[in-house]
Amino acid sequence: MKHDHAITTAELSMEERDMRSWKRKLIGAWVLTVPIAALMLISYGGIDIDENVMMGVPLVLGFFVIFIIGFDTIRGGLRGFYTGYFSMDSLISLGTVLAYFTGIGTVFGFMESYAGVSAMIMTIFITGKFIESKARGRATQEIKKLLELGAKKARVLRGKEEIEIDASDIAIGDVLVVRPGEKIPTDGLVIKGASSVDESMVTGESLPVEKTVKSTVIGATINQEGILYIRATKIGNDTMLAHIIALVEEAQGTKVPIQKLADKITNVFVPVILGVALLTFLNWWYFTGELSRALGVGISVLVIACPCALGLAVPIALVVGSGMGAQRGILIRKGEAIQTMKRVKTIIFDKTGTITKGVPEVIGFAATSKKSYVLERALSLERLSEHPLARAVVTYAQGTKPLNVRGFKVIPGRGVEGWIGTNHYLIGNRALMREKGVRVGKLEKEIAEFEVAGTTVLIMAEQKTALGAFALADAIKEDSKEAISALKQAGFKTVMITGDNRPTAEKIAARVGIDAIIAEVLPADKAAHVERLQKEGFVAFVGDGINDAPALKQANVGIAMGTGTDIAIEAGDIVLVKGSLTGVVQAIRLSKATFRKIKQNLFWAFAYNVIAIPLAMGGVLSPLIAELAMALSSVSVVTNANLLRTMRM
Amino acid sequence: MKKLKVKISGMHCASCAGNVERSVRSVKGVKNVSVSAVTNTCFIECEDSTTNADIEKAVAKPGYKVVAIN
Repeated sequence: MKHDHAITTAELSMEERDMRSWKRKLIGAWVLTVPIAALMLISYGGIDIDENVMMGVPLVLGFFVIFIIGFDTIRGGLRGFYTGYFSMDSLISLGTVLAYFTGIGTVFGFMESYAGVSAMIMTIFITGKFIESKARGRATQEIKKLLELGAKKARVLRGKEEIEIDASDIAIGDVLVVRPGEKIPTDGLVIKGASSVDESMVTGESLPVEKTVKSTVIGATINQEGILYIRATKIGNDTMLAHIIALVEEAQGTKVPIQKLADKITNVFVPVILGVALLTFLNWWYFTGELSRALGVGISVLVIACPCALGLAVPIALVVGSGMGAQRGILIRKGEAIQTMKRVKTIIFDKTGTITKGVPEVIGFAATSKKSYVLERALSLERLSEHPLARAVVTYAQGTKPLNVRGFKVIPGRGVEGWIGTNHYLIGNRALMREKGVRVGKLEKEIAEFEVAGTTVLIMAEQKTALGAFALADAIKEDSKEAISALKQAGFKTVMITGDNRPTAEKIAARVGIDAIIAEVLPADKAAHVERLQKEGFVAFVGDGINDAPALKQANVGIAMGTGTDIAIEAGDIVLVKGSLTGVVQAIRLSKATFRKIKQNLFWAFAYNVIAIPLAMGGVLSPLIAELAMALSSVSVVTNANLLRTMRM
Repeated sequence: MKKLKVKISGMHCASCAGNVERSVRSVKGVKNVSVSAVTNTCFIECEDSTTNADIEKAVAKPGYKVVAIN
């Protein structure tokens, strides 16, 4: 793990080093080039300058610019001529070196000198690369932020003493103390204390999340107000943050299908341009008989052609888009998903854990006596049970004070019983009430209503008389309704798939406003239903990624919802860290916006090369203008990708 | 099969990414290569028998340098 940390730092400093080196070169190149440019301007202005100065200054200063400052470029570029691996540098090297040597030719008096121009070309090239590397740095800023997000230090409890250690030295099982305002050092389980935690930097969830004993916490999130004692459960490369980083990095290296052609062209681009430049030169020389002019045109072709705009068009937009997503808890795992998303017509949602929370919640309550009296007693008994229904009642009765319970017993499949003071209490389903001979009487009407509504009913009895009834249902996530209406507005057909019976499914569908339902589906059959709907068009499936893996795979775009600290890495083309449907809306918007950028970039990159190269071949553009256009083309592609940030999520 | 993440220095343009891809793909045991010129990272899927030295050699052939492999 320490090893990994070292790599991370090396990565950052490598890019930093790169940028610094371009900057140094930039300054040096300009300092030497400005005098050359000034000299040329003066002489164009008609002022007579000594011939030897006019020849000598560009040759001397140009030598430094091209062969000293441009050393790496020249060496790397010319290397291509014997290894067969050509790059951008090959074009620039050949262009500038040829141009420089015309300056020596001038000394022997048989040609026009391009030596001054060659220095300017190198300077513009370096300037372009500097701006580009800055813009690229901006494009990767989100992933850099993620890399720096992890806690550096942790306070670990050893016996009774708190010792500060490096976060990389945490071992699984260590108890960590996190004070308000501090970063949670690693993934863990709260064993003492209560607080709320800001998880926005990892999950994109903007509201603080409440944490008490047994809550899971995510490393790198920030503790807000209380002290938390945490047992470390995951460290190093197994933490949620590490998973997210790995996932985003890998995704940024994947290809989008639309770039296939651009990649093919990029790969043969340089050798083809070398050939074209040679032919252009020979042609001009043969037809005009002017060696200098022919060389100038050839050099223009060499330096105007740039594979960068074409080769960077797609990956740079993907990097910006996926970085923006990562910041909001939307992890695009495959570049392909961005392109496929455009064709999706139908979105199928798994119900449990996707539209609903997958945990029951009290949605109705009726009592024959004072509510607080009933809730107090319900809380006292149910807090002793681990059952999800009991938990829901406890949450509902939160705020009342628990009483002492004697003789507590769980009756499996039925409910619980116990004594408070001298009274006997029962909480459970109808079957339990029947078996124990409880009189439901006054509550019968309410209970029947709850049952008709498709909810699960818990009845509480005191001394064999029903006191209260709870209606429980799978809780719908707060933003499900809003998200589904946004998707419908965007023109998607929405479908809910569930194992529930039809009446229950219909009620939930009506509450969130979904178009259609597929009810009573066995988990294993979900993929088949996706396949059936695919006959009508592209389908996206939204599910929890654990039970729904086959359906996620079958769908054209699989969107996996994260739960807690586990993100389903293998399932899904897009992973939503925070388990809310708003993420689906954002993911779709982001995919579409990113793909639009990709298409714009590709269009401009193609257009630039298709127009600029023939112009250079025709001798319309001087080498200097050619180089300037080239630098602008690659800078503009990277800048355009960065403009994606202005989109509204 | 294993997955490698290789950080590469010296890639200054889009053709460079293509060069690295071409060279690494020809290494014995390499099944899949994807190079991003934006993040200077190369993802490789290869047989367990492929060594880091093989990869480093392949990256060096067109003139680039491996900074880190993991």
